[in-house]
Amino acid sequence: MTRLGEREVSPEGIVYFPRGLIGLEDKREFALLSVKDNNSPFLLLQCVTDPGLGLLVADPYAFLKDYDVKLENPDRKTLKIENVKQLAILVTVTIPQNKPENTTLNLQGPIVINTQARIGLQVPQTDADYPTHYRPIDG
Amino acid sequence: MLILTRRPGESLYLGDNIKLKILSVQGKQIKIGLDVPEDMTVYREEVYLKIKEQNKQALETSQQDLLAAAALWQEIESRK
Repeated sequence: MTRLGEREVSPEGIVYFPRGLIGLEDKREFALLSVKDNNSPFLLLQCVTDPGLGLLVADPYAFLKDYDVKLENPDRKTLKIENVKQLAILVTVTIPQNKPENTTLNLQGPIVINTQARIGLQVPQTDADYPTHYRPIDG
Repeated sequence: MLILTRRPGESLYLGDNIKLKILSVQGKQIKIGLDVPEDMTVYREEVYLKIKEQNKQALETSQQDLLAAAALWQEIESRK
Protein backbone atom coordinates (compact mmCIF):
# COMPACT_ATOMS: atom_id res chain seq x y z
CA MET A 1 0.00 0.00 0.00
CA THR A 2 1.10 3.55 -0.76
CA ARG A 3 -0.35 7.00 -0.44
CA LEU A 4 -1.71 6.55 -3.93
CA GLY A 5 -3.40 3.28 -3.09
CA GLU A 6 -2.20 -0.21 -3.87
CA ARG A 7 0.92 -0.20 -6.03
CA GLU A 8 3.36 -2.87 -6.88
CA VAL A 9 7.02 -2.01 -6.36
CA SER A 10 9.69 -4.30 -7.72
CA PRO A 11 12.92 -4.68 -5.71
CA GLU A 12 14.78 -3.04 -8.60
CA GLY A 13 12.66 0.06 -8.13
CA ILE A 14 13.77 0.66 -4.56
CA VAL A 15 16.22 3.47 -3.84
CA TYR A 16 18.26 3.26 -0.65
CA PHE A 17 18.91 6.48 1.26
CA PRO A 18 21.86 5.78 3.60
CA ARG A 19 21.10 8.93 5.62
CA GLY A 20 17.36 9.01 5.13
CA LEU A 21 15.89 12.40 4.30
CA ILE A 22 16.32 15.55 6.37
CA GLY A 23 13.95 15.23 9.32
CA LEU A 24 13.21 11.63 8.32
CA GLU A 25 16.59 10.12 9.06
CA ASP A 26 15.20 6.73 10.04
CA LYS A 27 13.44 6.15 6.70
CA ARG A 28 15.87 4.55 4.29
CA GLU A 29 13.98 2.78 1.53
CA PHE A 30 11.89 4.66 -1.01
CA ALA A 31 10.32 3.95 -4.38
CA LEU A 32 9.51 6.52 -7.05
CA LEU A 33 5.94 6.31 -8.27
CA SER A 34 4.36 8.29 -11.05
CA VAL A 35 1.47 10.44 -9.92
CA LYS A 36 -0.68 10.55 -13.00
CA ASP A 37 0.97 9.27 -16.13
CA ASN A 38 4.51 9.10 -17.40
CA ASN A 39 4.44 12.59 -18.90
CA SER A 40 3.96 14.36 -15.61
CA PRO A 41 7.03 15.85 -13.89
CA PHE A 42 5.41 15.11 -10.52
CA LEU A 43 6.33 11.91 -8.73
CA LEU A 44 5.75 10.42 -5.34
CA LEU A 45 8.77 9.39 -3.30
CA GLN A 46 7.05 6.65 -1.35
CA CYS A 47 8.60 5.12 1.74
CA VAL A 48 8.62 1.36 1.28
CA THR A 49 8.39 0.56 4.98
CA ASP A 50 5.70 3.14 5.83
CA PRO A 51 2.67 3.24 3.50
CA GLY A 52 1.43 6.55 4.90
CA LEU A 53 4.70 8.31 4.16
CA GLY A 54 5.14 9.64 0.66
CA LEU A 55 6.70 12.92 -0.39
CA LEU A 56 5.62 14.77 -3.47
CA VAL A 57 8.66 15.47 -5.64
CA ALA A 58 9.22 16.81 -9.14
CA ASP A 59 11.76 16.89 -11.91
CA PRO A 60 13.06 20.48 -11.61
CA TYR A 61 14.27 20.54 -15.21
CA ALA A 62 10.69 20.36 -16.43
CA PHE A 63 10.32 23.88 -15.02
CA LEU A 64 13.73 25.51 -15.19
CA LYS A 65 16.61 24.61 -17.41
CA ASP A 66 19.57 26.13 -15.60
CA TYR A 67 19.27 24.52 -12.19
CA ASP A 68 22.73 23.53 -11.06
CA VAL A 69 23.20 21.17 -8.12
CA LYS A 70 26.60 21.14 -6.43
CA LEU A 71 27.90 17.95 -4.87
CA GLU A 72 30.87 17.86 -2.51
CA ASN A 73 33.27 14.93 -2.51
CA PRO A 74 31.75 13.20 0.55
CA ASP A 75 28.34 13.35 -1.19
CA ARG A 76 29.84 11.87 -4.34
CA LYS A 77 31.34 9.06 -2.30
CA THR A 78 28.07 8.32 -0.52
CA LEU A 79 26.25 8.28 -3.84
CA LYS A 80 29.01 6.13 -5.43
CA ILE A 81 29.07 8.33 -8.51
CA GLU A 82 31.21 7.18 -11.38
CA ASN A 83 29.46 9.08 -14.10
CA VAL A 84 27.17 12.13 -13.96
CA LYS A 85 24.83 10.41 -16.39
CA GLN A 86 23.86 8.09 -13.56
CA LEU A 87 22.32 10.96 -11.66
CA ALA A 88 18.73 12.03 -11.38
CA ILE A 89 17.75 15.21 -9.54
CA LEU A 90 14.43 15.72 -7.80
CA VAL A 91 13.07 18.53 -5.66
CA THR A 92 10.30 18.44 -3.07
CA VAL A 93 6.99 20.07 -3.91
CA THR A 94 4.63 21.96 -1.65
CA ILE A 95 1.02 22.48 -2.62
CA PRO A 96 -1.00 24.67 -0.25
CA GLN A 97 -4.36 23.11 0.57
CA ASN A 98 -6.87 23.61 -2.26
CA LYS A 99 -4.45 25.93 -4.06
CA PRO A 100 -2.64 23.88 -6.68
CA GLU A 101 -1.88 27.10 -8.60
CA ASN A 102 0.36 28.12 -5.69
CA THR A 103 2.56 25.05 -6.00
CA THR A 104 6.18 25.69 -5.01
CA LEU A 105 9.41 23.77 -5.46
CA ASN A 106 12.18 23.68 -2.88
CA LEU A 107 15.35 24.29 -4.88
CA GLN A 108 17.55 24.46 -1.79
CA GLY A 109 17.24 20.81 -0.77
CA PRO A 110 17.49 18.69 -3.93
CA ILE A 111 17.30 14.92 -3.71
CA VAL A 112 20.04 13.33 -5.81
CA ILE A 113 19.70 9.72 -6.94
CA ASN A 114 22.30 7.47 -8.47
CA THR A 115 19.91 5.62 -10.75
CA GLN A 116 22.31 2.77 -11.44
CA ALA A 117 23.38 2.01 -7.87
CA ARG A 118 19.93 3.12 -6.58
CA ILE A 119 21.34 5.28 -3.82
CA GLY A 120 19.69 8.54 -2.81
CA LEU A 121 20.80 11.57 -0.85
CA GLN A 122 19.24 14.91 -0.01
CA VAL A 123 21.92 17.53 -0.54
CA PRO A 124 21.27 21.01 0.89
CA GLN A 125 22.66 23.70 -1.39
CA THR A 126 24.21 26.19 0.98
CA ASP A 127 26.26 28.42 -1.26
CA ALA A 128 23.91 28.85 -4.20
CA ASP A 129 21.12 31.33 -3.65
CA TYR A 130 18.25 28.99 -4.49
CA PRO A 131 14.79 29.66 -3.07
CA THR A 132 12.87 27.16 -0.95
CA HIS A 133 9.61 28.36 -2.51
CA TYR A 134 10.14 28.59 -6.25
CA ARG A 135 6.81 29.02 -8.07
CA PRO A 136 6.79 27.07 -11.33
CA ILE A 137 3.13 27.70 -12.19
CA ASP A 138 2.17 31.31 -12.81
CA GLY A 139 -1.36 32.55 -12.42
CA MET B 1 24.49 24.03 26.68
CA LEU B 2 28.21 24.03 27.27
CA ILE B 3 29.62 27.53 26.92
CA LEU B 4 33.29 28.17 26.23
CA THR B 5 35.26 31.29 25.38
CA ARG B 6 37.80 31.08 22.56
CA ARG B 7 40.04 33.59 20.79
CA PRO B 8 40.76 33.68 17.06
CA GLY B 9 43.32 30.99 16.27
CA GLU B 10 42.17 28.78 19.13
CA SER B 11 40.44 25.46 18.56
CA LEU B 12 38.14 22.94 20.15
CA TYR B 13 37.91 19.21 19.71
CA LEU B 14 34.59 17.37 19.78
CA GLY B 15 35.68 13.84 20.54
CA ASP B 16 38.73 12.63 18.69
CA ASN B 17 37.88 13.48 15.13
CA ILE B 18 36.11 16.82 15.00
CA LYS B 19 38.17 19.98 15.20
CA LEU B 20 36.55 23.37 15.28
CA LYS B 21 38.80 26.41 14.92
CA ILE B 22 37.89 30.06 15.37
CA LEU B 23 39.62 31.74 12.43
CA SER B 24 38.58 35.35 12.84
CA VAL B 25 36.01 37.67 14.34
CA GLN B 26 34.90 40.62 12.29
CA GLY B 27 32.13 42.65 13.87
CA LYS B 28 29.15 40.32 14.16
CA GLN B 29 30.65 37.62 11.95
CA ILE B 30 32.75 34.75 13.18
CA LYS B 31 34.68 32.66 10.71
CA ILE B 32 34.93 29.03 11.78
CA GLY B 33 37.12 26.33 10.29
CA LEU B 34 35.96 22.74 10.63
CA ASP B 35 37.95 19.56 10.31
CA VAL B 36 35.42 16.75 10.26
CA PRO B 37 35.47 13.17 8.97
CA GLU B 38 34.75 13.03 5.25
CA ASP B 39 31.45 11.24 5.63
CA MET B 40 30.09 13.66 8.20
CA THR B 41 27.60 16.23 7.01
CA VAL B 42 27.64 19.79 8.29
CA TYR B 43 24.51 21.87 7.83
CA ARG B 44 23.83 25.52 8.44
CA GLU B 45 20.98 25.42 10.95
CA GLU B 46 18.64 27.77 9.08
CA VAL B 47 19.05 25.79 5.85
CA TYR B 48 18.59 22.47 7.66
CA LEU B 49 15.39 23.67 9.37
CA LYS B 50 13.96 25.10 6.14
CA ILE B 51 14.51 21.87 4.25
CA LYS B 52 13.10 19.83 7.10
CA GLU B 53 9.95 21.97 7.07
CA GLN B 54 9.64 21.66 3.27
CA ASN B 55 10.00 17.89 3.47
CA LYS B 56 7.22 17.86 6.02
CA GLN B 57 5.01 19.90 3.73
CA ALA B 58 5.76 17.66 0.76
CA LEU B 59 4.48 14.81 2.95
CA GLU B 60 1.27 16.54 3.88
CA THR B 61 0.06 17.40 0.40
CA SER B 62 -3.34 15.83 -0.14
CA GLN B 63 -3.80 13.43 -3.01
CA GLN B 64 -6.51 15.65 -4.43
CA ASP B 65 -4.27 18.74 -4.57
CA LEU B 66 -1.49 16.63 -5.97
CA LEU B 67 -3.61 15.45 -8.90
CA ALA B 68 -4.94 18.98 -9.40
CA ALA B 69 -1.38 20.39 -9.62
CA ALA B 70 -0.40 17.68 -12.09
CA ALA B 71 -3.46 18.47 -14.21
CA LEU B 72 -2.74 22.21 -14.04
CA TRP B 73 0.81 21.69 -15.19
CA GLN B 74 -0.38 19.56 -18.10
CA GLU B 75 -2.83 22.26 -19.10
CA ILE B 76 -0.08 24.91 -19.10
CA GLU B 77 2.25 22.64 -21.07
CA SER B 78 -0.39 21.92 -23.69
CA ARG B 79 -0.85 25.67 -24.24
CA LYS B 80 2.85 26.14 -25.02
